[in-house]
Order: sequence, then C-alpha cells, then structure tokens
Amino acid sequence: MIDPITIVLITLGGVLVGLGVHFIPVGGAPAAMAQATGVGTGTVQLAAGAGLTGLISAGFMYNELATSAGLSSSNMILVMASGAVGSMIMITVTMFIGQLIYVYGVGVPPVSAKVKKDPITGDVQDIYVSKGTEGHGVPTVSFVSGTIGGLLGGLGGSLIYIQLMNIGGDHTNSGIVALAGIFATGVFYVNSVIASYNIGGTIEGFHDPKFKRVPKAIVSCLIASLLCAIIAVPIMGGVS
Amino acid sequence: MSTAAGGPASGGISPNNIVVLGVVGGLAGIYLTMLNQTLDTTIFSFLGGIGAIFAAVWGADAVRRVCSYGLGTGVPSIGMLALGMGIVAAMFGLALPESDLVTLPNFLGPIISFITASIMGLIIGIMANKILKMNIPIMEKSMVEIAGAGCLVMIGLSVVIVGDFRFDEGIVPGVITTGYIALVFIGGAMAMLHPFNACLGPDERQYRTLTVGVEKTALMMVLVGVASLTEINAVSSALTIVIGLIIFVVYFKKFLEATHHDAYLITGTGLLPTEEELE
Repeated sequence: MIDPITIVLITLGGVLVGLGVHFIPVGGAPAAMAQATGVGTGTVQLAAGAGLTGLISAGFMYNELATSAGLSSSNMILVMASGAVGSMIMITVTMFIGQLIYVYGVGVPPVSAKVKKDPITGDVQDIYVSKGTEGHGVPTVSFVSGTIGGLLGGLGGSLIYIQLMNIGGDHTNSGIVALAGIFATGVFYVNSVIASYNIGGTIEGFHDPKFKRVPKAIVSCLIASLLCAIIAVPIMGGVS
Repeated sequence: MSTAAGGPASGGISPNNIVVLGVVGGLAGIYLTMLNQTLDTTIFSFLGGIGAIFAAVWGADAVRRVCSYGLGTGVPSIGMLALGMGIVAAMFGLALPESDLVTLPNFLGPIISFITASIMGLIIGIMANKILKMNIPIMEKSMVEIAGAGCLVMIGLSVVIVGDFRFDEGIVPGVITTGYIALVFIGGAMAMLHPFNACLGPDERQYRTLTVGVEKTALMMVLVGVASLTEINAVSSALTIVIGLIIFVVYFKKFLEATHHDAYLITGTGLLPTEEELE
C-alpha cells in the first residue's frame, strides 16, 4: 500500500529542489536596483518559475511515454531529463535577459563582489564593483551556478511528479494528473521557501560564502519533504 | 529585501481574538455549505467564501506579526509557504475519509486538514528556529497559524466553486480536474501575503492591513464565483459574485478612509504639465 521506496524518492526530490535553490543567483530587491549580483527578484519566484516550467516539460514527456502499465525505469530518466532541461532553459533565459538589461539598460558590468577572481574564467572582479554596491549583473560563475540550480530543481520536481503519477497509476485520468501536479507544486514551494530562509535574502551561487550553509537546508528539506511524502502517497493511491 | 521593522508588531485586536475569529469563522463558513447537500441546492456556496475571508484575515494578521521581525526574503515567500503547506494538508484531510485506509465520516475532512496543516506548520516552524537559526521568537506559533489559515482559505475558496467539500464528489471533478486549483492556490496566497506586503513600513497599522485582507479575499471570491459558473448553477454563482463585489467595495472604501486617516496630508498635485506649459 504505502511503498517506502516511493516515499524515499519523493523526499529525495524535495531535497534536490532545496539544494538547487542554493545554486540560483538571487539578488532580491537590491539586485533589482543593480546593487547586488544576481537576478532582481526573490528566491521563491525564481525557483518556482524554473520549477513549474520543469514540471510542465516533465508532464509533457510523461504523457508521451507512459503506457497503461506505467513508466519503465529508462523512460523515467527521460522524463526527469525533460524536466531538468525545461527548468534550465527557463532559468538561463531569465538570467540572460536580465543580463542584457543590466549591461545595456542600467550600464553596469556583470561582476561578483564575493570573489576576487571569477573561479571559472579567472577574470578580475573586485576592481569593477561600483562603490557602495555588492556587485551587479550575472557574472559567468553565477550563470553557470544558476544553470546547475535549474538542473537540480528540475530533476527534483520531476522526480516528485513521476512518483506521484506512478502511484496514481492512470495517466489518462486528468484528476490524477492535476492532483499530482498540484501536490508536486506544493512540495516544491515548501522546499524552495525553506531553502530561501536558509539563504536569507541574496546568494551569488556556489562560490558565495553563504553556500556553506547548504547542510542545514538539506536536513530541513529532508524532514519537510518526508512529511509531505507521507501525506501525499496515501492520497494519490486513493483517488478513484 | 528585509522589511524595515525589527520588532514585534503591536496595536489593534489581540492575536488570540483574531485566531478565534479565523478558526471559528473559517470552519463555520466551510461547514455551513453542508446546507447545500441537506437542502439539495447550491445556493449556500458563497458561505465558503465568507469562511475564506475570516481565515485570510487571520492569516494576514499572522503574516504581519511574523514578517515585522524581518525574514530577509520578502513577504511573498511566507504566503507561498502557507499555501504550499495548506494545499498538501487540505488534499490529505479531504481525501482521507474517502480512502480505504480508515473509515471516517465525510464531514470530518476540513477538521483533519486543519489539524494536519497545524502539525506541518509546527514542524516547519521548529525547523526554522532550531536548524536554520532564524531566531524569530514567534516563528513556531506563527507557522502553525499561517499553515492553518492557508489550509482553510484553500478549502473555503474551493468549496465556493463546487459547493461541496467532499473529495470524490466535489473537489476532484470540480476544482482539481478543471485546473481551478491553480487559481485558488495563487489567489489564496495573494489574499494572505498581499495585505502586509502592501502596507508594511514604520506606519503600518493593523486595521488598515486587515482591511486590505478582507478586500483582497472578497476579490478572490468574485473570481472563484466566475469559475463556479461552469460547475454550479448561474444563480448561485451570481450570488457569490454579487456578495463578493459588495464586500470588496465596502472594504476598499474603508481602506481608502483608513489611508486618508493615517496620512499626514492629502494634497492634489494636478495633472502633469503639457509641453507648451513647460516652455
């Protein structure tokens, strides 16, 4: 009835979402005024935007591949890959368009204030930081980090969705599809908010000193997702 | 990104009174829609919306109290968290009596949802303080309140659409399969997070913030009323829409009055000068 592996996989999905949020360069309100590195909006909005796009692409793939017998393991990887790519496209497009506005609209160079040299390109950073700001735009390292964040978030979100759909069992029943989707959204939001409380506002990516707080978020997301999974599994099994 | 204040919010109606108002009003509104099944009609669906208003006001007050400490991530995140917890708990509570796992009467659904949401809120609140070290003294209590209110807003608005809170008969075919659940999710979150997000600052006052809460939920009631046109009969939907609009207009006026009352000076600036006048 209640399959422990399903619960473990949903929990893992939640933890991946929480981990992924830490990679996304979130600048919050300061970044909206080009006074901090990252995209100028909150963690939850960015993570949810990317996560929901991932969910849609995963859902599309699931519908293509699922048979009445459910989903085979190799197809599961395809669905997860589809979700991950969807999330990555969404987050990279957001960062890229934001970057265009920062560079050509606001007129600031993309630069990180947390490191002296970009860990990927080796470009000097500190001399380009405007006085009184904490960097601006999306430098290469943040862009790469954000893409990794989209990958992890998309994988996590689609893993949750696949598991819920597998318990539901009938991919042609739109009630089950919608319930799995909205449950996955709920779990996604809970984990991304917990992760954003751990970050406490802004983060530049994996090179940011705040990234060292990740273990605390993983523990918290593990507990929260486990709770959601235990609640979700019996419901999905019970829908007629 | 953090809100300006750094201490507890004060003034106005005491938190305990609001909790009672939210829980009793919210659950009463939801349960009164059972009149629909008793009398075989859908005309009482709007009562779910009234319940949602009580619950959302409670939620908005809890958001106001916890966010006045400054979360560091902006107010919207907590509204999304509330409805994230609320939606998982609401579906669980409503579906449990209909599942094969236990035999429970259908009418216990909303109460099971509410209790589940409160437990989830408590665990997440404890984690926020103990593991994430947010160190907000009222975090545990507020999270319980926010999750509970989120769950009641969810159920209340969903009931408006189908006039029935039973899972297999009402919620699944009417709200989930049709996709209105997404509207309820985001709209419910808005009703709870927007009041404080709009009014925050050193001159924030409980009365003004909560007026926005009522007005915003009434607006949501109108929207779900429109959605309910496809699910229940037109008379019941129209009643929901009209009642929602009346509450919206009344409370929007009250909000304007409160804003004028709190403002130091109201002055007209006139229209922008035309190009000829500038020369």
